[in-house]
Amino acid sequence: MITFEHVSKRYPGGASALLDVNFHIDAGEMVFLTGHSGAGKSTLLRLILMLEKASGGQVAVNGLNLSNISARQIPQVRRQIGMIFQDHKLLSDKTVFDNVSLPLMIAGLRYAEIRKRVRVVLDKVGLTGKEKSWPLTLSGGEQQRVGIARAIVSMPPVLLADEPTGNLDPQLSKELFGLFRQLNAQGVTVLIASHDLALIRSMGQRVLVLSSGRLIDDLPAVMPWPGKGEADAD
Amino acid sequence: MRIKPVRRRLRAWFRRQLYSFFSSLGTLLGHRLATMMTVLVLGIAMVLPLGLYLAVSNLRALDLQQDEWGAITVFLNIDIDEKGAAELARVINGRADASAETVSPQQGMEEFRQASGFGQVLDLFDDNPLPWVLLVTPQPRDGQELGVVVATLDAWLQQQDAVDITQVDHKWLQRLSGLIELGQAFVMVLSVMFSLAVFVVVANTIRLDVANRSEEIQVLSLFGAGDSFIRLPFLYSGFWYGLLGALFALMLLSVSVLYLQQPLEDLLDAYGNRLEMKIPGFSCALLILLGGGILGLLGAWISVQQYLRHLKRNGMLGRI
Repeated sequence: MITFEHVSKRYPGGASALLDVNFHIDAGEMVFLTGHSGAGKSTLLRLILMLEKASGGQVAVNGLNLSNISARQIPQVRRQIGMIFQDHKLLSDKTVFDNVSLPLMIAGLRYAEIRKRVRVVLDKVGLTGKEKSWPLTLSGGEQQRVGIARAIVSMPPVLLADEPTGNLDPQLSKELFGLFRQLNAQGVTVLIASHDLALIRSMGQRVLVLSSGRLIDDLPAVMPWPGKGEADAD
Repeated sequence: MRIKPVRRRLRAWFRRQLYSFFSSLGTLLGHRLATMMTVLVLGIAMVLPLGLYLAVSNLRALDLQQDEWGAITVFLNIDIDEKGAAELARVINGRADASAETVSPQQGMEEFRQASGFGQVLDLFDDNPLPWVLLVTPQPRDGQELGVVVATLDAWLQQQDAVDITQVDHKWLQRLSGLIELGQAFVMVLSVMFSLAVFVVVANTIRLDVANRSEEIQVLSLFGAGDSFIRLPFLYSGFWYGLLGALFALMLLSVSVLYLQQPLEDLLDAYGNRLEMKIPGFSCALLILLGGGILGLLGAWISVQQYLRHLKRNGMLGRI
């Protein structure tokens, strides 16, 4: 589903953000991306979202080579990706309903259909009946779940999350990761950038480790770190 | 039953239009005061050329082609007597393009006495110093320009031996129509200038609007909205601004016309002219509204396009 081949990214005049990164994520996989801040996690996600262009190598999403994609095709590729941001990026002058329905409006769905789908997805993330709320009246955890609802409402095959638990307490973070796992069980490919090592460890999923722009480790699922204390909860 | 892809695409397009339509209206209503001020500025910018246009077109419609204004007063040589005057009048009446009547020195003296109030001065003269005078009225046939007929006639009259000098009232008419033409040119210049102003005001308003919503634009873009989807609500906003501005301009114009009508009628009455104030008809008003809307749309287009390019250049929407 997501393939990086010898990908590097240099910013003009700056140091390399990514250096010869290689990995492949299969459809239906759930993968964590970790590393210190500045290791290149965000750059990697930006490449998948086509906010940046790789300086070298090739990125492919859903079989599409992103280096061959024209500016006009970018929106179509992005509709296959649901993105969750650390700062939620909710529009504060729009209600929860209007925020969550954005991807469906963009796709041009019927209004009745949009309403139905938004209700279903809000149920799924535990925000039943919050359609008419304003984002700023919600708690941090609720806001993040609005962001997740928006990312999954159009049922994209790929879900990307950049530090989704960055501002949440451990209990909420755990709930959120549970939600990601649920989505993954339904066939969505999930890639989560996070530096919450303890939480990542508890999930027992595949982990990609970045350091100074290089992929230094690719730990397979189930037993990420030998001798881990907490066993998989579920 | 499957819907054909083209129809589905068309429906999706239509729904996006609806979405943008309502979202632009929502934005304008959400900032009522700012919207009102913009509309006010636009309306005032539009009412100036419109008002001048109305004034000029009403002046043109005035009955300036009255025969009396084309009349030529022909003063004959002092040695021409009644017979000579009648002879020339007969020749002129024989022409297809004019008729003439004679005014004797005595008639002329009487008129002058009554009109000037210098009667006693005239008594000082032993003889009547006035010559015989012909009042020549041009009679243009259908489609003939009065000015041309007058000029031809005047040239011919001046070549006659009996004629001393001619005096053409038409000169005054020509000056007036020259002024009206100048006014029309002025309307053109003003229209271009104020159209530019409308364009710039809308472009600037939309630019601020776009800048205020750059976050929303980024989010839309990240969730797969194309440029056209992002652009659309702003284009609608620009259209609304232009349309509302034009509507306001028309309202201002109507009020001004109502206010000016009576004094204008009185003034023109004094000149023996009847005024039928022409106000823009329904189709004209529709054209003005549409024109305003299109100007606004163009301004918005330039503004959004430029801002999208700026966002892309800074890597906020995607690769260039």
